[in-house]
Amino acid sequence: MRLLLSRYVRITSAILAGAISVAGFTSASGASPSKNVNVVGYSVVGPAFKALEAAFAATPAGSGVTFTNSFGASDTQTQNVANGQAADLVNLSYEPNLATLVTAGKVPASWARQEYVYGHVNVALTGKKAQTTFPTPGILTNSVVVLVVRKGNPLGIANWSDLAKSGVQIVTPNPLTSGSARWNLAAAYSSQLQIGKSGLAARAYLKQFLANTVAQPTSGSAALATFVAGTGNVLVDYEDDARAALAAGDPIQIVTPPQTFLIQNPVALTNNGLANPYAVSFYQYLFSAAGQGIFASLGYRSVLRSIWIATESQFPRRTLTNALWSVTNINKQGWNFVNPFFFATNVVFVKGSTTVPLVGLATYYEQFAGAGT
Amino acid sequence: MHPPRERWVHRRASIWTGRSARGLALTYFSLVVLIPIVALITHAFSHGAGAWWSALTQRESLSALRLTIACAAGAALVNTVAGTATAWVLVRDRFIGQSVVNALIDLPFALPTVVAGVTFYTLYGPHSPFHLNVTGTWIGITVAITFVTLPFNVRAVQPLLESRTFHAEAAAATLGASSGRVFRTITLPALAPAILTGTGLAFARALGEYGSVVFISNNLPYRTEVASSYVYSLATSGQVDAAAAVSTGLLVLALTVLASVNIATRRLARSQ
Repeated sequence: MRLLLSRYVRITSAILAGAISVAGFTSASGASPSKNVNVVGYSVVGPAFKALEAAFAATPAGSGVTFTNSFGASDTQTQNVANGQAADLVNLSYEPNLATLVTAGKVPASWARQEYVYGHVNVALTGKKAQTTFPTPGILTNSVVVLVVRKGNPLGIANWSDLAKSGVQIVTPNPLTSGSARWNLAAAYSSQLQIGKSGLAARAYLKQFLANTVAQPTSGSAALATFVAGTGNVLVDYEDDARAALAAGDPIQIVTPPQTFLIQNPVALTNNGLANPYAVSFYQYLFSAAGQGIFASLGYRSVLRSIWIATESQFPRRTLTNALWSVTNINKQGWNFVNPFFFATNVVFVKGSTTVPLVGLATYYEQFAGAGT
Repeated sequence: MHPPRERWVHRRASIWTGRSARGLALTYFSLVVLIPIVALITHAFSHGAGAWWSALTQRESLSALRLTIACAAGAALVNTVAGTATAWVLVRDRFIGQSVVNALIDLPFALPTVVAGVTFYTLYGPHSPFHLNVTGTWIGITVAITFVTLPFNVRAVQPLLESRTFHAEAAAATLGASSGRVFRTITLPALAPAILTGTGLAFARALGEYGSVVFISNNLPYRTEVASSYVYSLATSGQVDAAAAVSTGLLVLALTVLASVNIATRRLARSQ
């Protein structure tokens, strides 16, 4: 009964978090509004920001600074900011979200350079000695896609290929609202290329992966709540989210596949945030050794090389070839290619057809899975 | 002969009838209902009728609409029978705790639907204490919608039952009609307009249900995603016009059902 109750609370809070993010929760708490920073983030990063904000408020630069937080499904959050929700600093799941905000005039086109200008880091931009683990600018945290299974791993899941077996029930969020979902599906497809399979085989794998999917909750957090509540036997998740759940005592186990996918979550100061000195100094704090140390302690793979080297031993070490791919491994254009390749919506599956789709693979195979039931 | 107080009420009432009352009512109706609906339709057609039609007839939209209509109809049918029976018991029967049950009937209206959804998930989900898992199925969706729309049928039928004298039924019974026949030929026709109204309202309300359903459905596109959830996903991923287009589908459906119920109840009333 107690377990039942804790699940109940868990699910309710996941859903309410979503509801609050929709409402655009913007009541500054108490203190003078001039020292307030509006933070808008993707669902999973919420707890990390609470810790970072508390630590920042304890520094001289952050003394007296208050925060207004909003966390939810990444695409939903992006749309809310584009539609006018107050935001000084945005930390979203994947880069196309920031492209949307640039188009909406909320974030400057040069947002990735803020890492150099205000964060004072990045190999590619500063040209100084290696400061960041990967050259991509504007990225606040790295993570990888992992598979979360029930304690004891009853199905013996060891790698991505195991997810295509019959009887496996996958939980992964809905790609229409969640950035996490997009990382997961790109990772699933990519995993087959990483082990040397052809593009055609990777498509067939993605098709089976989606046929085995039993739930697509609206955000990464909602997906974890659904899995913990008992649905499915594999959850595809951010490594940091899975580690946090494990630390919280959920009866789960993390399987890091031998080959998996690099997640890079971008951060930016909005045009409003650039005019807010407290937002700027918080941004700087996020890229400091202290800020990145907090991320690392919460299961993120730090973008700061010094912190990554110090914390690397916590993470499963992979020395295989193609152990870690990113969007640019699928195509040099990165998300500009990957997004339409998987998620183009104007794709129609015709029953009985054997045509191989060229774009919108996920859209196509989901229709295929739907037609089968 | 009128007592003074009543005359005062009458005089005051005359100010609130006629033009000013009509103006107030229409302004209120416009602000709350008409203008939002016009805005919705404007959004839906902002890229022309072609874009509206293609958004409405997208595969994902059609399968979501189909599932929603089926589950809403299922829930409305269940409530038609169960709701009428509940109203009957509450009015014609006497039992301990009756007033409590009567008060609890409205609970589905008062309870936030998300809470209802989570409750169903824990009761009829993977860790169900009854070993009954209906998550990710049309049954689960229908159960959630049935709960949320139950009060419509009960509360539509109840007042009519309370005001009925049942003299005709008594007369028919003394003339030798079986209780089944009495119900079929006298009671049911008398209750039909109220039952129909309750069912129509419940169905229309069920079409838009989101909170109680989104979790128990597992939200699988093309399979278990309901229309309201699809609209939510579209609206929150920058496709507001497509969301509005799918919403017009729900709107037309709800209006058609409510209008048909209206016509049918009038015909029934006239035929009696």
